[in-house]
Amino acid sequence: MGIQYLNEHLMFGKIGNAFVVLSFTAAIVAMLSYAFQIYRNQEESSSWNKLARFSFFIHACSVFGIISLLFYLIQSHYFEYYYVWQHSSTSLPEKYMWACLWEGQEGSFLIWTVWHVVLSILLVWKGKKWEAPTMMFIMMIQVFLASMLLGLQFGDIKIGSNPFILLRNHPDFANLPFIHLPDYLAKLKDGRGLNPLLQNYWMVIHPPTLFLGFAATAIPFAFAMGGLVTRQYREWVKPALPWTFFGIAIFGIGILMGGAWAYEALSFGGFWAWDPVENASLVPWITLVGGAHVMLIYKKNGTSLFTAVMLLAVSFILVLYSTFLTRSGILGETSVHAFTNLGMTGQLLLYMLFFIVLTIVLLIIHRKAISNPTEDEALSSREFWMFMGMLVLLISAIQITFTTSIPVINKVFGLKMAPPVDVIDFYNSWQTPLAAIIALLIAVSQFFKWKQSDWKVVAKKLAVSFSISLIVTIVFEIYVGFSRVQHSILFMTSLWAIVANLDYLIRVLKGKFSFSGGSVAHIGIGLILLGALVSNAKKEIISENRLNVDLGKDFPNKENILLYQGDTLAMGEYYVTYKGKEKEGINQYYEVEYLKANHNADGFTKELSLKPFIQLNERMGNVSEPATRHFLHKDIYTHVTYAEMDNKNQVDEKGYKEPKKHLMAVGDTIVVSNSLFTLLEIDKEVDKKANSLNESDIALGLKIKVTDINKNNYLTEPIFVIRGNEKITVPTEIEKLGLKFDFTSIDTQANKFELSLSEKKSNSRDFIIMKALIFPGINILWIGCILMFIGTWIAIRKQISDLKRAS
Amino acid sequence: MKKIHIALIVLIAILLGVIISTVSESGTYVSFKTAAEKPDRTYHIIGKVNLQKEFIYNPEKDANVFGFFMTDTIGTEKRVFYNGTKPQDFEKAERIVVVGKMKGDDFIASQVLMKCPSKYNKTEESESQEMTNESQRPQ
Repeated sequence: MGIQYLNEHLMFGKIGNAFVVLSFTAAIVAMLSYAFQIYRNQEESSSWNKLARFSFFIHACSVFGIISLLFYLIQSHYFEYYYVWQHSSTSLPEKYMWACLWEGQEGSFLIWTVWHVVLSILLVWKGKKWEAPTMMFIMMIQVFLASMLLGLQFGDIKIGSNPFILLRNHPDFANLPFIHLPDYLAKLKDGRGLNPLLQNYWMVIHPPTLFLGFAATAIPFAFAMGGLVTRQYREWVKPALPWTFFGIAIFGIGILMGGAWAYEALSFGGFWAWDPVENASLVPWITLVGGAHVMLIYKKNGTSLFTAVMLLAVSFILVLYSTFLTRSGILGETSVHAFTNLGMTGQLLLYMLFFIVLTIVLLIIHRKAISNPTEDEALSSREFWMFMGMLVLLISAIQITFTTSIPVINKVFGLKMAPPVDVIDFYNSWQTPLAAIIALLIAVSQFFKWKQSDWKVVAKKLAVSFSISLIVTIVFEIYVGFSRVQHSILFMTSLWAIVANLDYLIRVLKGKFSFSGGSVAHIGIGLILLGALVSNAKKEIISENRLNVDLGKDFPNKENILLYQGDTLAMGEYYVTYKGKEKEGINQYYEVEYLKANHNADGFTKELSLKPFIQLNERMGNVSEPATRHFLHKDIYTHVTYAEMDNKNQVDEKGYKEPKKHLMAVGDTIVVSNSLFTLLEIDKEVDKKANSLNESDIALGLKIKVTDINKNNYLTEPIFVIRGNEKITVPTEIEKLGLKFDFTSIDTQANKFELSLSEKKSNSRDFIIMKALIFPGINILWIGCILMFIGTWIAIRKQISDLKRAS
Repeated sequence: MKKIHIALIVLIAILLGVIISTVSESGTYVSFKTAAEKPDRTYHIIGKVNLQKEFIYNPEKDANVFGFFMTDTIGTEKRVFYNGTKPQDFEKAERIVVVGKMKGDDFIASQVLMKCPSKYNKTEESESQEMTNESQRPQ
């Protein structure tokens, strides 16, 4: 009490805290005012609406205030704030300052909140009669999100985690003595900084994109719920459609950015590892895609409204579930991703359960109004096949969710289930056939007319694209081939999806741009599936270690290969040389050269050079990052899986490494890096004087012959001495070879002698263990992503212009 | 019966398939003792690495075999051979999960999952707490 701390900037924190509280209370007021406006069935200009807009304005200002303040604090390196200390440092490059903002959980909740506000501004501005119904739900969501930043403690219950908490008040620091010195800030010097693993441009763009995707799922949900509470059961679909497509585009690109990050910078060895965190964000995207298609069915046909409402609600709730999974620490056993648990599990659970219960209650109350007395859809109708597509997507989503939720199932039912032994294979064996069906439906559905079509006409229209993809698949099978039937089927169907949509675009739509959204997006999806399939199923591990002895079926993995500095080994169509290493900052780079054989004198031409590295990351431990060379048709991926680190191989002042013990009998020969040595005989009559030993000592020598690579012989004799009750040794050294011998113990029973041998570090050549993979056709996948994004944007434009025409 | 109902029945059937396949394919967390009883089955074993005993890794001889000693949750210690390179910072793993089967007196692991302290945002100060607090373990 009463300590005057120096150089603190407490003003910002006070303003920040005021904003935090204000954003929370303003959200409540806005939500309630919108609710009253709906309840009283009032016009846009009512006093409730004015109050609602005013409090939304306050809420928006507070949220922007919080994020600007936090960013300012990070920029100014005010380490008296725990969040700033924990996530930034003075040495951090400017471009990563934003990444600091969302490295922590508080910051990521904040960016999520900010996106909701940004999207809400559009709703308030352009929403007209939809402003109140949608904003009521968005503000409800904002109340929960704003509470995540409150940082209130009631006994054991913690509500939120405040980003403006002072370092000296944080439980991790409050008990440290130095924190109570007035000038503690001077002693602190620097922040812990952004985790070097995350100092990466992906960290700047991936989280905000994904969170914008998260936020975008809330809008269609709010439309659907708003439609229910205002009993405008049918009208909400059209204005919600562009938002749904917006969500699909942004969310999809956010997920794929995560994949690209994993592929480029992390050593997953691919772009998708079926990691729980990846799955958790993929699943709501899948259900959102399903939802959008059912909305289209409803727009054309007036059926499947209940399904549409349900799918939009499921997508939003699954976003909350993914937040719960990644932030509650429940995935502990199964994920490589790490998010710390801030003790808000209960709050996150409440957030999710609230919206689950709310949705169920609203669906039950309004079920009659939205479940239509369905007339049976014809098998030859487009809506039937679209609906089937949605069901397949749903199965896919449920399979992923169920397997990802194993830790949750364990917790709820007190089980001890472990994930399937080969998780990736398990997911693939389910998802590959499902993807093939989806691709098939993408190919054929558009050629059916709404309501009813003539089977013969459809078959005729599809004949061309089917023949093309069948021929290409057969040719591919003959020249390249897949090892699994399901791969061939997915190849064929995804190819068909691409060709059929291209065909549709040209022959049916005649290239009309504004209608082309669906076709372009579907071509994109087809390419994504095709690229994922080819790059995965046809990936080639060229670093396979062929030289090693076969260790039997217990050790089938030979993917890592040893490469000595200067040696050249054949790998696939290349020859690979490890040139050497260099240290740059905290990264240890290993230069690996890829060569091709030629007919010149030296026999090789350099093709490319890659520099995978190991990040010497003190905080997190060393991390190996791959290097990849991109070609049009393939990527060459190189990854150092093991390298001797200097600090691990301690050397003494003369440059000797730690000794290795060898148990030898007379006549044994041992090979070391630069020579081999043989135990010739035991010398029982050691010259004690020459070795300055006492007459009373019992001494035993080992006569050793050392032969170096130039066939020069050396003789040496380390001695083992017993003096009274004491053991001493007289080691020897061959300086020229950098070898030290020490006779350290005798095994009298086996008649063996323990020799401890040290080698100079400079004797051994540097080496790396590396893994090299070729991913063919991965660019197909990235092109697909871009087309999917563009196509979805065209669809958004189309939906908006439909809306305008209607009004 | 409408086509939609048939579709729903098929959907439910497939969902049952999802559940059954996940449960039947799912592994189980056991001890070395249980794993030894059925040496042909693959198990998950949680435990701690014995840092007192030396690691067996000689990359110059074989880069793809790494051996170490591990104590499971009920205290049995076994030698584990992992089919791969020595993972980065293996020494720092506070808990590990190995997936594989027993062979003789050794455990042959096809996967090693490490749970390192402070993978992301932990302060040095709070690491000691983490050791004891299960729920705080980062992923």
